[in-house]
Amino acid sequence: MKPCAITGLGLVSPLGVGYDALVAALRAQDAAPTDIFHNHPTLLDPETLGVTPLAAECHDFDPKLYLGDKGLRNLDRLTKMLVVSAKFALEHAGLKRDGVHTLSPERVGLCSATAYGSLEAITEAAHVTELEDPRFLNPNRFPNTVINASAGYVSIWEDLRAPNVTVVDGNCGALDAVLSSETHLLYGRADAFVVGGGEALSIPLYLAFHKLGVLADGERVFAPGRRESQGMRLGEGAAYLCLETPEGAKKRGAQVRAYVVGYGNAFEPPESEAVLVHVSATAVQRAIRMALSDAGLQPRDIDVVASAVSGIAHFDAAELAGIETALGPEVAVVAPKAVFGETFGASGAFAMASAVAWFEGLRVGPLVQGKRPEVLKHVLALAVGYYGNATAVILRRAGA
Amino acid sequence: MVGSLRQWIAPAIAARSMTRVFVTGLGVVSSLGLGRDAYWRAVVEGQSGFSTIQGFDTGNLDRSVAGEVRGFNARDFLTAAEARRTGRCSAFALAAARMAVEDAGLSRSDLEGERTSVILGTTMGEADVIGELEHTWMRRGLSAVLPNKLPLYGSTLLPIHLARAFGARGMVQTLPAACAAGNYSIAFAADLIRSGRADVVIAGASELLQKVQFAGFVRLGAVAPDRCQPFDKNRKGLIVGEGAGILVLESEAHAVRRGATALAEVGGAGLACDAHHITRPHPEGLGSLNAMREAITRSGVTADDVDFVNAHGTGTHANDKVEALVIREVFGSRPVPVSSMKGMLGHCMGAASALEAVACVLTVQTGIYPPTMSYETPDPECDLNLVANRSRTGKADIVLNNSLAFGGYDAVVAFAKPGRLPDPSKLAAQVAASTPPSSASFLQ
Repeated sequence: MKPCAITGLGLVSPLGVGYDALVAALRAQDAAPTDIFHNHPTLLDPETLGVTPLAAECHDFDPKLYLGDKGLRNLDRLTKMLVVSAKFALEHAGLKRDGVHTLSPERVGLCSATAYGSLEAITEAAHVTELEDPRFLNPNRFPNTVINASAGYVSIWEDLRAPNVTVVDGNCGALDAVLSSETHLLYGRADAFVVGGGEALSIPLYLAFHKLGVLADGERVFAPGRRESQGMRLGEGAAYLCLETPEGAKKRGAQVRAYVVGYGNAFEPPESEAVLVHVSATAVQRAIRMALSDAGLQPRDIDVVASAVSGIAHFDAAELAGIETALGPEVAVVAPKAVFGETFGASGAFAMASAVAWFEGLRVGPLVQGKRPEVLKHVLALAVGYYGNATAVILRRAGA
Repeated sequence: MVGSLRQWIAPAIAARSMTRVFVTGLGVVSSLGLGRDAYWRAVVEGQSGFSTIQGFDTGNLDRSVAGEVRGFNARDFLTAAEARRTGRCSAFALAAARMAVEDAGLSRSDLEGERTSVILGTTMGEADVIGELEHTWMRRGLSAVLPNKLPLYGSTLLPIHLARAFGARGMVQTLPAACAAGNYSIAFAADLIRSGRADVVIAGASELLQKVQFAGFVRLGAVAPDRCQPFDKNRKGLIVGEGAGILVLESEAHAVRRGATALAEVGGAGLACDAHHITRPHPEGLGSLNAMREAITRSGVTADDVDFVNAHGTGTHANDKVEALVIREVFGSRPVPVSSMKGMLGHCMGAASALEAVACVLTVQTGIYPPTMSYETPDPECDLNLVANRSRTGKADIVLNNSLAFGGYDAVVAFAKPGRLPDPSKLAAQVAASTPPSSASFLQ
């Protein structure tokens, strides 16, 4: 692929709102770790759940601080997080100054991923339809049940009129959104793209994964990438990066934070027809090799893998096996989900944001295997789906 | 704007390795019939796919008619294992894909491997799966929810079921672009082939009718009592539909190598966003106008070259008024033939533009324009050359497929007779040199 410049980032995460706040929080976490998963999630009522939940919630997120009081009533949590992230990303990139576009709004697009959309809205609508009367459905909130609603609202709030794309690829969504954006940029459909994704905590989301027995709640061990791990923990948030062609970024004098230089994606079916959920080491390996080939790089060029290991031990083992086959046993592997939790559609964007922060001096971590590189030039961000799909994106440090 | 459009597009086209992209196979699951032949026969005859909903109780919603797919038995198309792991939406998609692959004459060995991708659109995905899960949870409690049912939900799965069925190991992606999802899928699939990332892409979209979503449309005040009358002065709204339209897209080299018949060429795609309102189109149709013009310009042709427009035409007051305004703006005084198929199919949401894309390909093949049914009273605000109530024959070298969707998504794709569009290697120069349409003032 032709390199794309990352010129800005905007995030809403349990560690803060905005890229600078996130980096500061990560730095503080590195110096003196605090367990954000034990911070009792207010969205998840233990009585309703029947368990004591452990999840990384964006506790201090107050959309009114950033969006004002008006127009928020009918937006769901996912949408609010995405709108705020986009706002921060556009300002961070200088694509907006004090809320005013610096490029034509018709030249700025959005590519936004989510795995489950607004389960909050879907459940609310189902509750009314099932237990009350469908005539009582709130027509102002019903649109939130549609999975591209959040991206539609982002375009309205931020006035983004180039292509608006919603990607649903489970955990791979935010990284797959990179290819979509790169394609639209190179076909001249936009000069800049806001790329990433979001996922919101909700009771049905928590219950579904609890029911599947894959959550490390209660006394179960949470250690992404380690054999002893007994499950993952959910997180939430939204993360967007602004992508532009290097020429476009240069022309408007934008600061380039990093480049995206390679993309690979693969799907492998399970061996048995009876199996649906599986993580494929072969898909992981092929996605990485394709990304290397796309970037014109060799395995030794990858300094760090921002992996997708989440704490589900057998999935993590398959992913690590795929990484080892493609990149060798020595490569440094990091587990961003140990920090953010599992954020599904947003997870790839958090991995890319972590990579940018490492390029800009944040200590690489938390390490699952390998050693911190002395010089950091290329980070491979990985996303691994539950149905045999995997995506890899390679980022290069600006000026490297 | 149009001058600038050429400046952006020409170098972008020149920068990519270009190939023609052909449609070589079609598959359909619809309320008008299963398979392209049954579907097209019904379309040409102007049949209605509307009936009283049988899939769920509409209770006291005061609306009970939809374009529901009848007589679809998943096991007629899917293996037992596939039927167990798919919801109705995926089953529609997989059934239509099997038809399309057979229509294209592709064997499993043609499709196996990394050069085949699956890109699908939808609005709600497996809404029946989550509906059933929610129903069980709310009526019988969490303990009654079976864990093995949970992973069946997720729009992610739609293309994965197809990839498994055909041995495809390339990119699998779902683009939930609401009512423009079919066009989004086809546009991105063509991009993947043109940029050399795939040789074959199974593209299209699938949607099902489900109670919560139906009730939501009713509560939005968008649903007509019993029929859909696109562009009619007395139109009362849309009729919800369901189904799947799947197209096999191939690079020219791949199609030629295996001696495939090209049914149509995929031309340019225009994608834009209104950024105006979550359910209503921009009153001047700005996004839609950009998308239509872009599809024409990217095809290397002018508005004068377009022979027919398969409109979005939902039958709602707002959509039809704005779409008519945009079509008049794009084509000026030339009365290009226009039709909406939603008087027969209803609004199949995510699948709508995919089913209409299938019809566009068949229009290119046969020279038959589908009719706009239930058209009775002309609306001065929708002053178009409508193909009213009876199908019509005419020149069909280049046709446009319009979609204006929820969320402000606008997507338009051009289809053409194979070889009718400019040679891709000369397209950049041609686009750069082309004269802007006479109506360019609208956005300048």
